[in-house]
Amino acid sequence: MGTNGVNKNRRNLFQTSAALLGGAIAGTLLKPLEIFSQTSEETQEPNKDNLPLWGMGVDIEKCVGCGKCAEACKIENNVPKEPFYFRTWVEQYTVKNDGEVKIESPNGGIGGLKQSVPDDDIFKSFMVPKLCNHCSNAPCVQACPVGATYVSPEGVVLVDEAYCIGCSYCIQACPYGARFMNPFTKVADKCTFCYHRIKDGLQPACVEVCPTDARIFGDLRDKKSDLVKFLQKNPTEVLKPHLNTKSRVFYNGLSSEVR
Amino acid sequence: MSFIVFVSIFIGIKHLVVPESFGEYGHYRAKSLNDNKERIQYYKGEEKCASCHQEAFDLKDSDLHSEISCEACHPPMINANTDCEVNPPIIKGTIEFCGQCHAMNLGRLKKGVPQLVIEEHKGDQNCIECHNPHAPWELTE
Repeated sequence: MGTNGVNKNRRNLFQTSAALLGGAIAGTLLKPLEIFSQTSEETQEPNKDNLPLWGMGVDIEKCVGCGKCAEACKIENNVPKEPFYFRTWVEQYTVKNDGEVKIESPNGGIGGLKQSVPDDDIFKSFMVPKLCNHCSNAPCVQACPVGATYVSPEGVVLVDEAYCIGCSYCIQACPYGARFMNPFTKVADKCTFCYHRIKDGLQPACVEVCPTDARIFGDLRDKKSDLVKFLQKNPTEVLKPHLNTKSRVFYNGLSSEVR
Repeated sequence: MSFIVFVSIFIGIKHLVVPESFGEYGHYRAKSLNDNKERIQYYKGEEKCASCHQEAFDLKDSDLHSEISCEACHPPMINANTDCEVNPPIIKGTIEFCGQCHAMNLGRLKKGVPQLVIEEHKGDQNCIECHNPHAPWELTE
C-alpha cells in the first residue's frame, strides 16, 4: 500500500461526512425540531393560527383564603376528595414576630383557612393560591419519557391520559408540586386551566367562583384582556424565577417568604 | 443486506408502536387535545342561573355580593333545567359556611371583606336568620 491508498481512504471519509453533514443541515431546514419551537419566547413569536395564549394572574392582596377555588376545582375536574389530591389549593403564610414563617394548608383551604397562631404573635399573614404554573419551559414535559405531557398550542400544559404510563417522573420533576398521581385513573393528573371550559369561552372553575376576583384569567396575546390589564397595572412576579421555567401564572404582592 | 432487513424491521415496529396523530403539533398525540376538551362542564356561569332566577340574580347584583357568582355559594348543576327542581340548590347559611369568608382571620382583615368573631357576634344563630345572603344588609330583625 502506497500513499495513494491512504489518500483515497481519506477522500472517501471526507466525502461521506460532507454528504452526511449536508443532509443533516437540509433536514433541519425542511423540518425544524419540534423541541426547539416549544421553548422559545412565545408571546414574541408571530401568531400564525390566531390562537390565544392562556395565562393567569393571582392577586395575593385580594385572596381571603375561603377555599372556594379548591372546592370548585375538585367538583369540576372529578379530583378525589381526599385532602392530599389537589389541582389547586390555598396556602396561608404567617410570619411570626420572632421571624419564623409558618405555612399551612389544611385540606387545601377547603372550608376556609383558619389562623392557628395567636393574634399577638403575628407579624403578618397572607394567603397564596397555588396551581400548575403552565410553564412554557416545563420541567415535567422534559421529564416525560413517552410524550404524554406537553404544552398545547394555546400554552396549556396537558396530560394525555390515554398515553401516560404512570411512571410519575413528571410529579418529581415539577418544582411547584402541582401534579399528583390519580388513584382511580392511575395516571398523572394536574390543572388544565379547565381546558374543556375555556374552549367554549367560559372561565376556569376556580376563577368563576372566586368571590373577591383574586384570580384573573385571560389571553396574554390579547392586549385588551383583563389579564394583560392586570399585568400592566400591578408589579407581578412568577414563582421560582431562578428555575427559568417561564411560567404563565403571575402573582401580585408576592412576598419573599413564598416558596 | 442484513442491515437493510434490520432497518426495515425497525421502521415497521416504529410504525406500529407510535400512535396515530403523534407529532402533528409537537412531541405528543395531537388527538389528546380533543380528549382534554371533551369533559363535563359542571359550572355553568351566572347567565345560565339568571335565565330562570332573574329576580334573585338582580337582587344579588344590586348589593354588596354583586361580585360573587351564584355558583360560589350554590352547588353547580350538570343539567340546570331539570336538576334544580329535583335537588334545589338551597344553602343553609350556617356560621361555618359564611365564616369561610367572614370568620376573623388576620390574613384577610384588610382585604375589604368584613371580619367577625362570629361567636361574639350572635352566638349560635345561623347567619341567614337575620341576613339575606343576596343583600346582606336587608335584616329580618
